[in-house]
Amino acid sequence: MPYKENVAIVLCLHRLRNIRMNMAEAIGKVQRWHILEPDDKTLITGGKVYIAPADYHLLVEREGYFSLSVDEPVNFSRPSIDVLLESIVQARWARAGAALLSGANCDGALGMLKMHQAGYFTAVQLPTDAEIPTMPEAALALFKPTCQFSANELVQVCLRALSLYT
Amino acid sequence: MLFEALPEISEKELEHFFQIMLTKYGEDFRGYAPASLKRRLGTVLKRYGLPNMQTLNQRLLTQPEYYERFISEITVSTTELFRDPSAWVALKNQLVPLFASFPQVHIWHVGCSTGEEVLSVAILLQEMGLYDRTQIYATDIDRSALEQAQKATYPLRHRELYEKNLKAVLPNVPFSKYAWEEQGNLVFSPSLLRGVRFLRHNVVTESTFGKFEIILCRNLLIYLTPSLQDQVVTKLIRALQAGGIFMIGTKESLFWCQAAQQLIPLNEVERIYQKKP
Repeated sequence: MPYKENVAIVLCLHRLRNIRMNMAEAIGKVQRWHILEPDDKTLITGGKVYIAPADYHLLVEREGYFSLSVDEPVNFSRPSIDVLLESIVQARWARAGAALLSGANCDGALGMLKMHQAGYFTAVQLPTDAEIPTMPEAALALFKPTCQFSANELVQVCLRALSLYT
Repeated sequence: MLFEALPEISEKELEHFFQIMLTKYGEDFRGYAPASLKRRLGTVLKRYGLPNMQTLNQRLLTQPEYYERFISEITVSTTELFRDPSAWVALKNQLVPLFASFPQVHIWHVGCSTGEEVLSVAILLQEMGLYDRTQIYATDIDRSALEQAQKATYPLRHRELYEKNLKAVLPNVPFSKYAWEEQGNLVFSPSLLRGVRFLRHNVVTESTFGKFEIILCRNLLIYLTPSLQDQVVTKLIRALQAGGIFMIGTKESLFWCQAAQQLIPLNEVERIYQKKP
């Protein structure tokens, strides 16, 4: 993904608890993107890739910062993709888009639906292309996204979402 | 397939909720971080089968007896014994060097919830040989959580995790020294609570009580807006003795808090700070 100084990427991955930090460190620096796990109330700024910390929900606030929570897991997941996406819809951000990839449960489907209903760009990985199709299938059962893609098209999908807002 | 669709809550309904809480119950929810507050309110509506926020507001307005139950639902009680073990190891390493010479150590555990971390502190102090010089005040806004904390009794399903966490913090201490199975529950030794006073206290709206050598406030600040975080942290640092320890959650930050200038980090990664002498 080419570096964009006015774009922030937020990654929400289901992963094991009690393994802290290593995700951001493992990915390190890709091109000029600064990859990090945000702390609570971190201001969201461009040129960064934020990874939801293990064992916390990650939410965005209207004022442009993250909030974390240790509320109960949603869809057995913390962080939950639904919680993140719903917070984007609630915050009524003017410019946002979401892509849902491979996953083993239905987390994210409802959040994607809400993003779609609120008029945001939504992209869902083709179930046939996904390592585990459950998650994209759950979303596609609820609505028709802006587009479907295979993993090697993800960058183009992101650029397409950005082009809508420039 | 299971979907957890939550009811929408409008700004107007939220405003009405704030007013009821403030004027009828003296609780100020205006400084709670909106995203997670809305989500929790939505969860409460769903759990009670209430169609919308208006119904909940009406209930809070006309049925004061519903209030305690509501507070219990709206506050987050997620906690565990030695949650984030590496943070507790870091605290353990500070305790003896800092407080071995103190005749008395006063600890305030803010937002103690169901008490698992109070037990964590108690076990640490016991093992460090400091317990009998310590007075622990453990406070929370949620009465039913405090009641559970006083019983020191938890679902047995937590045993594996708690045992693993204890081992990570105190590798030579057998879990059975402090906890055992009783009637299908996990019960902690009542002696761990002999120096603990549980009090119902709202750190947002109420003033502090006394001075403390150690203040723990973990994963409470995340539910507040930056400006309210600033107010609460200012209040807590004022209640901290010079040289005292301030410990927050490992993903919490103090960058919105002016008063944090009075702190020096003892362990930045684990978010353990010391008030400047």
